[in-house]
Amino acid sequence: MSASSPGTAAAPLTEFTAVSKWYGPVIALNDVTLHLGPGVTGLVGPNGAGKSTLMKLLTGQLRPSLGQVRIRGLSAWSAAAKACMGYCPDVDAFYDEMSGRAFVRIMARLHGFPARLAAERTEEVLRQVGMAERADRPLGSYSKGMRQRIKLAQALVHDPELLVLDEPLGGVDPIGRAELTALFRQWAAGGKSILLSSHILEDMDTLADRIVFLCRGRVLASGSLPEIRALLDDRPLKVRIAASRPRELATRLLQLEVVLAAELTGEDVVVQVRRPKSFFASLAEIVVEESYDVERLQVIDASTQAVFDYLVKWNP
Amino acid sequence: MRTPAACRSSLAGHVSGSAMLALVSLRRMVRSRQSAVCALLLAAAGLAATAWSLRHGAGFQEFVSEVVLPVYVSFLLPMFCLCCATPSIAADREEQTLVYLLATPLPRPMICAAKYAAALALALAWTMATWAVLTRFAGPAGRALFRPFCPAVFWSTVAYVGLFHLFSVVLRRATVVALVYALFLETLLGNMPGIAKRAAISFYTECMILDAGAKMGLPPTVGREPELLLPVSGDAAWTVLCVLGFVFFAAGVWRFSRAEYA
Repeated sequence: MSASSPGTAAAPLTEFTAVSKWYGPVIALNDVTLHLGPGVTGLVGPNGAGKSTLMKLLTGQLRPSLGQVRIRGLSAWSAAAKACMGYCPDVDAFYDEMSGRAFVRIMARLHGFPARLAAERTEEVLRQVGMAERADRPLGSYSKGMRQRIKLAQALVHDPELLVLDEPLGGVDPIGRAELTALFRQWAAGGKSILLSSHILEDMDTLADRIVFLCRGRVLASGSLPEIRALLDDRPLKVRIAASRPRELATRLLQLEVVLAAELTGEDVVVQVRRPKSFFASLAEIVVEESYDVERLQVIDASTQAVFDYLVKWNP
Repeated sequence: MRTPAACRSSLAGHVSGSAMLALVSLRRMVRSRQSAVCALLLAAAGLAATAWSLRHGAGFQEFVSEVVLPVYVSFLLPMFCLCCATPSIAADREEQTLVYLLATPLPRPMICAAKYAAALALALAWTMATWAVLTRFAGPAGRALFRPFCPAVFWSTVAYVGLFHLFSVVLRRATVVALVYALFLETLLGNMPGIAKRAAISFYTECMILDAGAKMGLPPTVGREPELLLPVSGDAAWTVLCVLGFVFFAAGVWRFSRAEYA
């Protein structure tokens, strides 16, 4: 079932244009300009970076002090824009006396669905989030993970183009995390745009196509993780190589112009390199020429956590 | 069958969504602690009316001056309205469930109106039911007053619900403020000499009651000194209650449409 939008279909799905938001003397967001496209966009930042404010602006709970937040060309504050957007809040609050099924169905009705269609959509999304068989108990008796799934179901019930998920994996067990992660990837592959915040940065490594790093209300960097990592010129990439004849390999690699340092750690060689593309090309040639047996090749500091640490240290 | 997109962008979708929200809110309020309080108040009103009728068995003038004005108009009626109207938006804010409503494509004025409609329906049910119980159990004196005083009860409920709903929209601790208003400010204003009492809703309820009572032979200021009460006509009191009800409702909708709840 595909969704059409009440706004202009040609307009970008989501755009922040020079958005600032302040609460009295405190600036929560400062001159943020962003465009979100299809796929999963991760929102990363320390506490107080402005992640929640950004999400609340996008979901129309707050209005920008300056600038504009638009969804398909419509102000995010407007009711019409909300037809394109589904929101899974981080607060663990529900109408606890209701069953999960009743809650999702009511949310469908509030989105304007007639009773029969609301019931059909409810069953469909409950199946998607793995709650179809367990949704008849009162919400108050659910585990944290089940409550998260119901929150996701209500966000998805009107088949929105944009999903805003605030800490959607919080409190979910490892198996549930893997299931939900697969589900997010599936929705993104289906053309949905997902903005997701999580304080567990490992989630972003596997999930996000694009990451927005926020700090003190400003966007420090945005783009795919390799793109952002490549921009950190003064932070050479660390690569761990497990290969035969490690001492010899280290000596050979040090002769390359792009290799700044090499270190032997046990049976592995850890090298610090500039211009990773060039390094990996040279490494491949050396391995073939010298017949090294490479067991493992691992980039150590290109994870979301590592990039986040570098960026935040840059902006103390 | 309509598609999801067609549903959510249509006026019919908004109307049915608002009706559903009003129904859900009403259902939740009926099962709330506030309803238990209202039920207790209703039971207490029935007992009080029965006790009064056993002791006095007198005419409706005593019933009005000893029960209707001091117990029902000054206390029970505002309390029922308070119990039903203050949680309408404030409870959702406190329980953090308002976020779900604000994320739907229902226009904010419709969300506010749906909440108001649920609060008004329940408040009217309680105030009318209690009025019926009170007049029924008070014996013949009470029964004669049920119909003539119904409009005063109805319009007073409308005005109080509008005010307390506005508190609910504006204030996080709406119940506390509404209690202070209902129990202290209304009493204080209602007993002020001169025209200062015209700032109290209960004054206009009283005026409508006395106006209706006058047609049944009640003195125009039963139980009160005429120079202290300075009543307005029944029509003027009705007009004020209507206007207050509408203005409070409109102010609540206006404020809710612009407020940031986060």
